[in-house]
Amino acid sequence: MPPKKATNQKPAARTSRKRQSPSDPYEIPEEDESEAPKRRRRANVPEPDPEDEKEATNDAVVSTPSASRLKKTVATPIKLNGLNGVDTPSRRNNADRSARRKSARALVDRVISGAISDDEAEEGDIAREIYESSEDEDEEEEEEARNGDLEPTTPSKSTPGRKRKAPTSTRARKRSPTPRDLPPHEQYFYQNKPGLSKTSNNNLSSLQLLTHDEYFTLLRELAPKTPHKSDIIHLQSLHASSFPQWAFELSQGFSTCLYGYGSKRHLLHQFATYLSSHPPCEPSQTNKIVIVNGYTPSFTTREFLSVLSSAISSPPVTSLPPLLSFLSSRPKTTLTILLNSITSPSLRKSSFQSLLSTLASHPQVFFCCTSDTPDFGLLWDSALSTSFQFLFHDCTTFASFSPSELVVVDTVHELLGRKTRRVGGKEGVAFVLRSLPENAKSLFRLLVGEVLCADEDTGGQEEVAVEYRMVYNRAVEEFICSSEMAFRTLLKEFHDHQIITSHKDTLGTELLSLPFRKEELEGILEELTT
Amino acid sequence: MAEIDDTSLFQEDDHRVAYIFTPPTTSTSATSPTTTAKTTPGRPAKRRRVSKKGTPSSQRQNDGESPQCAKLRKQTYESAWPVLEQQIQTVLRDANRQTLDEVVSFFNSDAQEKEGKGRIPAGFIITGPNIAGQDLLFGQLGEALTTTGGKGARFIRLRAGEVGNLKGALKKIVREGMNTGGEGQEGEGQEGEEGAFGGEWKREGGERTVIVAFQDSEAFDTGLVGELVGLFHSWQDRIQFSVLFGIATSVELFQARLLKSTARQLYGAQFDVVQANAVLESVIMAAVAGTKARHLRIGPGLLRKLVRRQQEHVAGVGAFVSSLKYAYMNHFYANPLSVLLANDGKIDKEILQPEHLEAVRMLESFKSHVELAVEAGQLGHAQKLLDDDEYLKNQVLEQADKRQKYMESLLRSLALVTATELSKRSFIELYETALEEGISLDQSPGPFDLGDAIKRSNPEELINLIDRVVNAIEDGNPSFGLEGWASDPDAEAAIENFKELRFDVERLLAESKEKGASLKSKYSSQSKVLRTTVVAQKVQLSRDTATLTEEDNAFTEAIDAFFGFFSRIVDCEPLSSLFLHKIWQYDYHLPYEDVFVPRPGGTFARALSRPHDYLGCACCDKANGSLAGTLPATSILYHLYSEAGALINVADLWVAYYALVGEESEIGMDERSALVLFYRGLAELRAMGFVKQSKKKADHIAKLKWL
Repeated sequence: MPPKKATNQKPAARTSRKRQSPSDPYEIPEEDESEAPKRRRRANVPEPDPEDEKEATNDAVVSTPSASRLKKTVATPIKLNGLNGVDTPSRRNNADRSARRKSARALVDRVISGAISDDEAEEGDIAREIYESSEDEDEEEEEEARNGDLEPTTPSKSTPGRKRKAPTSTRARKRSPTPRDLPPHEQYFYQNKPGLSKTSNNNLSSLQLLTHDEYFTLLRELAPKTPHKSDIIHLQSLHASSFPQWAFELSQGFSTCLYGYGSKRHLLHQFATYLSSHPPCEPSQTNKIVIVNGYTPSFTTREFLSVLSSAISSPPVTSLPPLLSFLSSRPKTTLTILLNSITSPSLRKSSFQSLLSTLASHPQVFFCCTSDTPDFGLLWDSALSTSFQFLFHDCTTFASFSPSELVVVDTVHELLGRKTRRVGGKEGVAFVLRSLPENAKSLFRLLVGEVLCADEDTGGQEEVAVEYRMVYNRAVEEFICSSEMAFRTLLKEFHDHQIITSHKDTLGTELLSLPFRKEELEGILEELTT
Repeated sequence: MAEIDDTSLFQEDDHRVAYIFTPPTTSTSATSPTTTAKTTPGRPAKRRRVSKKGTPSSQRQNDGESPQCAKLRKQTYESAWPVLEQQIQTVLRDANRQTLDEVVSFFNSDAQEKEGKGRIPAGFIITGPNIAGQDLLFGQLGEALTTTGGKGARFIRLRAGEVGNLKGALKKIVREGMNTGGEGQEGEGQEGEEGAFGGEWKREGGERTVIVAFQDSEAFDTGLVGELVGLFHSWQDRIQFSVLFGIATSVELFQARLLKSTARQLYGAQFDVVQANAVLESVIMAAVAGTKARHLRIGPGLLRKLVRRQQEHVAGVGAFVSSLKYAYMNHFYANPLSVLLANDGKIDKEILQPEHLEAVRMLESFKSHVELAVEAGQLGHAQKLLDDDEYLKNQVLEQADKRQKYMESLLRSLALVTATELSKRSFIELYETALEEGISLDQSPGPFDLGDAIKRSNPEELINLIDRVVNAIEDGNPSFGLEGWASDPDAEAAIENFKELRFDVERLLAESKEKGASLKSKYSSQSKVLRTTVVAQKVQLSRDTATLTEEDNAFTEAIDAFFGFFSRIVDCEPLSSLFLHKIWQYDYHLPYEDVFVPRPGGTFARALSRPHDYLGCACCDKANGSLAGTLPATSILYHLYSEAGALINVADLWVAYYALVGEESEIGMDERSALVLFYRGLAELRAMGFVKQSKKKADHIAKLKWL
């Protein structure tokens, strides 16, 4: 969704930006007529913008000859927050390069910006007006909130109380009243309407984030006084009373899938204990139970198969057919597979799912799995589900996930876009690069520069990636490497340290990107160039 | 949270990918569900959807049920289901038989050698969109082509999921074609594979053909199919290859995807498979309605639901069969009274416990039966049913016979109705209605609304109709395993009656022919005619009955007589009117729906938005689906999440969360502890796929689910 949204929002912001850009000062008088729509557009830009804009304008005009940079700084709020009108060396560097590339345009721009210094005042006025109009909107928002409408913003007061101003501008378009109690799909479309997602600019900078150590220390302290503890245990015992039923279902050739909120690892373990005394097979057969932890990130099919083969004491195998034929040749042995988290990312590949389904459909194999996400239905097409023969049971446990199942701190930091464990951001990169040869450093600097440039172009709204081929050509130009082979070797090094990521887009073009936030990238570039 | 304590127990194993489970030797109490589950009285019963409609459940001894009974129930299930399963398999196999024969004869025919000289024979099997059903078909094809195919060809099945590229495909062909392990051949190139194949083949001195089946040919990479066909073609002078394509769409579409050069190398024929609906109907006839299903009847409501699912989702007959099986499992597992369905002789008065009788007295049909008896003045009967255990036992045991009789009469009626071939409805619909409402030809409109059709028939049609009905009585209906019942005394009289009628009609027909008039009844002829007469410039309308001859009248009488008699023998009462029908009818669709068509989204949303439903805790009672500080952290975050828009500011989320549980609220948690729980909640939302990282703004996350 975010990419979609990005495309929805970006054009709006960009058009306004273009109109606003000082490269076409002659348009400003014309725009006076069309001011109302323009203001509406600009309304999305957060408050600190105008001041910064002015500063940036001055800055740009005075210090750097590049106006193309100015054009960009105007409307990108994130950048402005970080930048605050002060040029960092990295930025200058960056801008210089971009200026070199667009030298022709810069020349024209310089002429213009030199000529129209008078216009600045006017522009400031416009900015002021825009500022007020955005306030108006905020007021209106508050009003709407007061009216009790369900406003789709993050659940906190987005605009703290502010003094009211008389509405100066007439807004051409009234927002349609926010509907209530929409069905989910309607809500989806409503909330994804372009321009509707307004969130405050608050961020977590004031909050000191948790470290692993602090998290576990506090968790241990919290553990004894957790509420609902007895309820959760009772709930689990209720599920446990269905064990005979599940065992019966397994014995009848069905597979079971337990789903619902909460960790089911403990429950599955209990079920294993139950099954070891009440095996689902015939009395004459022996049953082996294998518990598989699908949530482990290092899960491999090979390891899985090797445990299976050792469970039925067959010679080690690398593929499924020999294992199954071995099992068929020993009708007295049965195998029960209890799989935790069938929806975990490492198991989602269709090849593994079809392997599982082949396993599950074998008459001597009993298969039971759990799913921690509600989307498990999408894993199987009708052929797969026919061979799985799943019976689904609601097993909401409310039990918390163990550290092995869910690495809480990392997950949250990843959500917030802060990489902590991998290489420790800027420091980590510096550390890695220190141990690499000079041309690796140059390549990485090149890569960071390109990514930042690309980031400028896209407006910093989505994850940026640069084309592999393009980076290679640049690297050759800069004499960093002479052959693709050498280039690959350098990239491999980065890959190993997880400081770059690569993927292919829909057209099959290989793209490289850096798993860092923009601020971090700038920091890295700064460090590399000094 | 309960786990924090006992994680130490098997923490080692948690990080391993897989391990062999060895049961802890000492802990028995923790896992015996009987003790933990049932010894906490006074707790509100959880509203768990998995529960079995309140009937006392479990195969293992129920409270008060003797182990003997539990065992007997299991035995009954084990004797009832496999019979049906076999029957279904036979039906399914038969359904494919015609296709099989055609394919085999195509591959064996000489015609192809003349016409398609030098080209690869190819069979295109139009399987329809249901890929789940293809497995059986291709399995059968394999059997048929390798054994009865005369030449004993090698049969190799390829599935798109299994072979990604040319090398993989060739490897599989070589391995299966040679029946060798093929493990040691890794690393060889494509030529190596080919060479190996050719070499091995010659060594075997193979004269036989190799048939390669592309089971889901649409899913294959087009280039791969082309390359394989090209290869087969180049080997054609040494090894006789044939190919089979399973096609879900149409041959035209498939051909359009192939290269022209590839298409030119193929010489093919198209085969159709029996439509899924027809297969389903025959499965239902055999396994649901048929006489083989003598233990348990699937109720009309459930049956309708199952059939609708088949038609609306492309589920495959396999899904229907498992649903059926599950219904059987459920009934014999969960309903203690199902012990009464045990095979003849095994059940006697000794086995029945007082608890059984008590359960019987609780049944709806028992109550209405007693009420009816009271109304009818059979006070003694009613009294005894209520008080006298022995009497009730006898009554209950007698039901087995009555049940058989009822089913027999129902099926016979259905056989007769289908024999008339006048009903436009499908058999499934007829069967459902028969169970639900009984059969009565008078009810109109309804599926058994045959009155008009019968009455409007002309003499020849009536004679044919009578013939068909008589045949049905004599031969029964093999598709649901019903034998003829002509030897019954009632049926003998009926046949006699029908024959007389037939004789009468024939006589009348002959008589009217002599007179040169056609024989008609008052129903078939345009009997009423509107006449307009103009009298003194006024139009008068008058109805006139067309004159019917004496024979016509006699024929009308014959039709009436036939209809009256037919509807009398067809008449049948609905299943629900029977005493104790609950014991042998299964009509619950809730367990079925929960288990086969889960709604995980709703389940997750409910657990998170109303944790009280599951936890039954005192603290969250008042929240009742709204936000409260006592809820689990994830639940609070979920509430906030569902109020938020598509983009969520984590900073604001944290502020809102902390406002609910923080020091100023009732909960009074300090900031760092609250942050720990906040972290956990957020991580869980992420793990469940509710949110993902957003790069649009700093510290923002994007919403992914709208439940």
